[in-house]
Amino acid sequence: MIQLSYLDYLAVEGKSWLHHLSPKLKVIGMALVLLGIVTLRSLSGLFLLYAILLTLFFISRIPLRIFSLTLYPLIFAFLFIFISGFQILFIFLIFLKVLCGSTGVVLLLATTPYPSIFRVLGRVLPSIFVTALFLTYRSIFILLKVFEETQHALYLRGGFQWRHPWRSLNNISNAFGHLIIKGIDASERMYESMVLRGFKNKIHYRGE
Amino acid sequence: MSHIHLPDGVLPVWLWVSGFIIAILVGAILFRFVKKEDLARRLPLLGMMAAAMVLGASVEIVPIAYHVNLTVISGILLGPSLIFLATLVVNVILGLFGHGGITVIGLNTLVLSIEGILGYFLFRLFWSLLRRLTPAIFLATFLALFCSTLSMIGVVSLGTPHYEELIHQEGKGLFEFHFLKEKEDHQEDVAENKVNLKRFIAIVLPLGFIGWMMEGVITTLIARYIHRLRPDLLRLEG
Repeated sequence: MIQLSYLDYLAVEGKSWLHHLSPKLKVIGMALVLLGIVTLRSLSGLFLLYAILLTLFFISRIPLRIFSLTLYPLIFAFLFIFISGFQILFIFLIFLKVLCGSTGVVLLLATTPYPSIFRVLGRVLPSIFVTALFLTYRSIFILLKVFEETQHALYLRGGFQWRHPWRSLNNISNAFGHLIIKGIDASERMYESMVLRGFKNKIHYRGE
Repeated sequence: MSHIHLPDGVLPVWLWVSGFIIAILVGAILFRFVKKEDLARRLPLLGMMAAAMVLGASVEIVPIAYHVNLTVISGILLGPSLIFLATLVVNVILGLFGHGGITVIGLNTLVLSIEGILGYFLFRLFWSLLRRLTPAIFLATFLALFCSTLSMIGVVSLGTPHYEELIHQEGKGLFEFHFLKEKEDHQEDVAENKVNLKRFIAIVLPLGFIGWMMEGVITTLIARYIHRLRPDLLRLEG
């Protein structure tokens, strides 16, 4: 989750041609990638799609440390090895679908600021849902700040140690409880300041 | 734990499209119970709880990438209507991170909201019966997660014919891709190409049990912490 602020920074500060491309076209591109993932059943087709996405990833000059985000969903794909009875073709198919999906999504996030993505989604989805998305996105950064401050308190109380499982669970739970209470207080202040600025169920973007 | 970390293209099209349609219908029904002014006022709280759930999903407790959902405590704090919207928002954001596919957002929302909504009602029930916070929260969380894991298994099993179709695919496309096999082995191959759901369930349920216990304990400790500092949030009186 710490990568989120770095992804956000990359999306805003990036200078490649993909960064300058319209958010609408990039969202449509992602929809086409999803269509490809859903419809393609041959290894060669999926491999070609993955190769295209990897090429786009590297020519957009996205740092390699972000690449590891695309591999994380593979952890869950391993469960499918047990469903299939270790069928090699099926396993490769699943892995390629996972990699295409995660690479496409990370590519979208690393080259398009979140508010731009939400603005595109706002054209097809209800405004209340897009407002909730935007507020959640904002709240993640607020809670990350609170979490960073809480981490110091957590470490002073022993943090997370396998040798002391009960104390560790207690520490984590207190940290989450603290996060939730601070978050609720912050949300009440956020609502008051939004109302003062004329908020009425919908967030308006610059240029509307 | 019950979050379906399924990639796109694995579940059959009819299943995930149905997931979206049912999620929209359920959302539309639940929102009839929320006043518009109330919804606007509680949107920042919804955003904050959804953000807490997203953060919970990114904090791994054990090396096998188990993470807390915080759906039950969010359901208790937000109520059944708002927790549905919160889980939808969480799944969209997690989908955008590649933490689960984008096409399974509808199904994930249904499965996760079962946790939140059941957690809310079970907590109210156990609180009214037991009048003790710790067992009420723990039992509500454990049972809610148990039910949502069962529904996750149900969703995965509905896609069985599709997995068998994918397993039976010979390599089609630009390059032919065959395993060498004799005709006599065909019978064995057919048997092996069957999807083994029992093995999947045998792995998911024990792992799930560990997860339900852990999340039950963590949610109980969080609720006790909140009860110490802000008892009004849990709305235990009345």
